[in-house]
Amino acid sequence: MVDWACKPVSPRLPRCGIAVTSRLGTTVNMAESRDIIIGIDLGTTNSLVAWADASGPRLISGAGGGFAAAGAGAANGAEDVMVPSFVCLEDDGRIVVGSEARRHAVEKPLATLYSIKRLMGKGVAEVEEEVRRLPYRVERLRDDGTGRDVVEVVVGSRRLTPPQVSALILAELKRRAEAHFARPVVKAVITVPAHFDDAQRQATRDAGEIAGLDVVRIVNEPTAAALAYGLDRAETATIAVYDFGGGTFDISLLRVEEGLFEVLSVDGDTHLGGDDIDRTLMDLFTREIREQSGLDIDSPTIRQQLRTLAEQMKIRLSEDAEAHVEIAVGANFTYRRTILRQEFEAMIAPLVDRTLEACRRALRAAGLEASAVQQVVMVGGSTRIPYVRRQVGELFGRRPYTALNPEQVVALGAAVQGSILAGMRQDLLLMDVTPLSLGIETLGGAVGKLITANTRVPCKAVEMFTTFQDGQSAVKINVLQGERELARDCRCLGVFELRGVPPMPAGIPKIEVTFLIDSNGILNVFAKELRSGQTASIQIVPSHGLTREEVRRMQLEAVEHAREDMSAHHLIDVRTTVEFDLGKAERMIEQYGDLLDANERDRLKRDAAALRRLARTSTDAREINEKREQFNRLTIPLAEKAIAASLK
Amino acid sequence: MRPRVASRRRRLTWQTQDERIEIMSSAQSLPLKCTGCQAEQNTPIVCIGCHTLYPVPQSADHFTLLGVPRKYDLDESELAASFRSIARNVHPDRFADQSEQMRTLATRLSAEVNRAYQVLRDPVLRADYLLELAGGPSAAEEREAPGELLMEVMELREELEQARARGDRTALERMQQALRTRRRRTLETIAVVAREIDSVDERTRRSMRRALNSLKYFDNLLAERA
Repeated sequence: MVDWACKPVSPRLPRCGIAVTSRLGTTVNMAESRDIIIGIDLGTTNSLVAWADASGPRLISGAGGGFAAAGAGAANGAEDVMVPSFVCLEDDGRIVVGSEARRHAVEKPLATLYSIKRLMGKGVAEVEEEVRRLPYRVERLRDDGTGRDVVEVVVGSRRLTPPQVSALILAELKRRAEAHFARPVVKAVITVPAHFDDAQRQATRDAGEIAGLDVVRIVNEPTAAALAYGLDRAETATIAVYDFGGGTFDISLLRVEEGLFEVLSVDGDTHLGGDDIDRTLMDLFTREIREQSGLDIDSPTIRQQLRTLAEQMKIRLSEDAEAHVEIAVGANFTYRRTILRQEFEAMIAPLVDRTLEACRRALRAAGLEASAVQQVVMVGGSTRIPYVRRQVGELFGRRPYTALNPEQVVALGAAVQGSILAGMRQDLLLMDVTPLSLGIETLGGAVGKLITANTRVPCKAVEMFTTFQDGQSAVKINVLQGERELARDCRCLGVFELRGVPPMPAGIPKIEVTFLIDSNGILNVFAKELRSGQTASIQIVPSHGLTREEVRRMQLEAVEHAREDMSAHHLIDVRTTVEFDLGKAERMIEQYGDLLDANERDRLKRDAAALRRLARTSTDAREINEKREQFNRLTIPLAEKAIAASLK
Repeated sequence: MRPRVASRRRRLTWQTQDERIEIMSSAQSLPLKCTGCQAEQNTPIVCIGCHTLYPVPQSADHFTLLGVPRKYDLDESELAASFRSIARNVHPDRFADQSEQMRTLATRLSAEVNRAYQVLRDPVLRADYLLELAGGPSAAEEREAPGELLMEVMELREELEQARARGDRTALERMQQALRTRRRRTLETIAVVAREIDSVDERTRRSMRRALNSLKYFDNLLAERA
C-alpha cells in the first residue's frame, strides 16, 4: 500500500547531487534543488502543471508522467498536458477528474462540475446570473449563524464548496507530478487572474491546502506569463500582457529590467472570458431553436450539448471563414445554422471592447501611452481568435507576440516562479501590485481607503481605532475591497473583530491596526493596543470564504477519501494480478500436470480454487496478496519440471 | 553626484566623499556598516553584500530607508535605481527557504520600502511627507484650503457644468488646460517651501498645508470630466 500520496511528507533532499530517474527515464538533476516546487495553472477550462529548474520550465504530462516539450504545438502533446477543469461525481461515489469527466458532461449534466473557478470566493447573490446557465445545482452554504454567503455545489446528497472541487483538480495535478518525479510533491505555486480579490485568492489557497499542497505562492497569471516568455533578456522594456482566458480577462503592464519584473498596473474583469463567447453563440442557438420549433429546450442535457457545439464552432471560426452546426432537437426537428466569421465577430465585439476598455484604464493607471508599450504578449485560449488579435494589435499599434502556446504559458511561468522560490533562479524577481483598493467602512457607510489599487505588494497601511463605550472590549472593522465610494458598492472581505481590548473609558484605547497585503496579494491583519501594549486578537469572519477550521476538516476528509480511493484501486490491482497468476498456473497444470504425482496435482488445484474464492470475496488486499505469493511459491516445483521438460 | 549602488552582491561604490557625509547625516545613529560582513550599507534595513536583514529603526524616515538625501529635489532615475537595488535585496522570494520569522521580516521590510518609494517618487506626496517630518500641520490638523480658493472652485465648477451642458468641447478643453496650469503653479509654490522646509516658520508651513489641500480640489475637478 503506497501511503505517501495522501500523507504529505516534506521532501528534504540533501544538497549533494542526486539523479532521480522518473518513469519515462527522464533524468532530473536534483543537485541544486532542496525542494520540488511545481507550478500550477488552475484554469477555468483547463489546468496544467509544470516544473522548472535553472535551464527552464517544462510541462508535466499525464499518463506516463513524462515531461512534454514546452511550447510544442503537437496536438496529442497539448491534449496530454492539459487536464480539463471538469469533475464528475459518479453515483457510486467515485470521483472522476479531467478528460474523462468532460466526456460525462452531456450524459451526466447534473453531476459534472466545470467552470468552478468562476464560483471561487463568491456568494450566491453574486453568481446568480452565472448559475442560471450552469447545469449543476448551486446553493448557499448551510447557515452556521455567521451570516456568511458562501456557494456550495450540490450533487445528489453530496455538497461541496468550490475550493473542494478545485482541490480535486489540484490533487490530480499533484498526482501527475508525483508520478513524474516518483516522489512526493508538496510545494506548489498556483496562479490566479491578476484581478482576483482577496476572497478569491484565499479560496484558491484553501483549495491547495485541501488537496494537501503547501501553496508557497499565489502568482498573477499575466505576470507568470511574462516570466515564462523570458523577456528578461531584453534591455529595459515596457510590456503588456493581454490575458483572455476561459473565464477571466486580465491586462498587466510591466517594466522589465535585468531580470526584475515590475508590474506597473493591472486591470481586468474576473467575469469575462471564452465562456462568455460560447454563451453568445449558445444564446443565439437557443433563441433560434425556440423560434423555429416552438419547443421548450431548457433541459440540462440540451444546454450542455449546445455549450459543446458553441465551443466547437468558436474554435472552427478561428480557422475558417464559416462554420456549420446541426443538432437534432426532439424527434421531428433538426436545427441547422451556418455562421460566417464576420457575423461571429460582430457578435463578440461588445465583449472584446470591454477588454480594450480595461487596457486603456491600465495604461492610464500606469501613466503610459499605448505607443510606449514595446511588446504585447498574448495569453489564454481566447487570444486564438483572429478578431481579438487584430483589435489588440490596433490598440497598441503593434503586432501581438504569440510565440508560446497561449494555453500553456501561464503554467510554465508558475514553474519559473517555483524555481525562484526553490533558490534555483537568483537572476529573476517579480514585483507585483494589488489589483483593487482596500478600505474600511466608516460612519455613514462610506469607505475610508487605506491602500489604493496598483500599489506594489507587499504593502501596508496602519490605522488607529478606539472604543465608543466605557469598558468596551471588542471593536468590529468591516474590511472592503473595490474602487467605489460607498461600502455597499464594494466587496466586503469580512468583519475583523478585535478582541481583548483592555477595559478603559470610551475613546481612550488606542488600537493600532496594521493591514498588510503580502506577495500573494492576500490581506493579513495585526492589531495592538498602544496604551497597554497588548496585542489584540483578531477574529475574522470571511464574508465569502471558509474558516481555517473548515479548511483543515476538508483537508482531512480529502486525505481520507484519497486513502479509500487508493485502497479500492489497490484491491482491483491485486485481484487482477491473482487472476493473471492463476491463469498462468492453470495452463501449466493442464499442460505439465502429469509430471507431478496425483496428490501434488490435486493440492495445487485445491489451492488455486481457494485463492480464487478469497480474491473474489475478501476486501483485504494484503491478505489476498500474501496468499497469492504463497500459492506462487507452491507452483515453483511444477515450473521447474515444466522448464526441464520443455528443454528436452 | 549620488552614490551609485552597484548591482547584486557587489559593494557600494561611493563617488564622492561629500556625498557620503550627506548620506551619513540623513541616516544618523543608524548602522551604516553591516554587523555581519562589515560591508558599508546605504540603507539601514538590508546589507546588499550578505543579505542580512535589519528591522526598521524607529528613527528611519523614507529617505534613509532608500538611501537618498533628505531633500525635495530628488533625481528620479537615481531614486528609482536605489529603490530597485534595495527592493531586490529585501524581496520575500530571496528568503523563501528561511524561517517564518525571516520571511515575515522580509515582507514587512518590502512593504516599508515600497511605501517609501511610493511617497518619494510623487512630488505631491514627497512635499506632504517633508512637511510632516518638519512638524506639520498634518492634513488632519489643518483641513482648510486658502480662503479665496473655495470661491474660485465654485465658479470653475459652474463654468464647467455650463460648458458640459452646452456640449462645448473647446471650452471644456480650454478650462481643463487652465486647471492643469493652475495646479502646476500651486505645486511650484509648494516646492519652493518644501526645499526650505527645515528653516521656515509654523505660519509658512500652515500655508503650505493649505496649498496642498487645494491640490485635491483641482484633482477632483480634473477627474470629473471622465
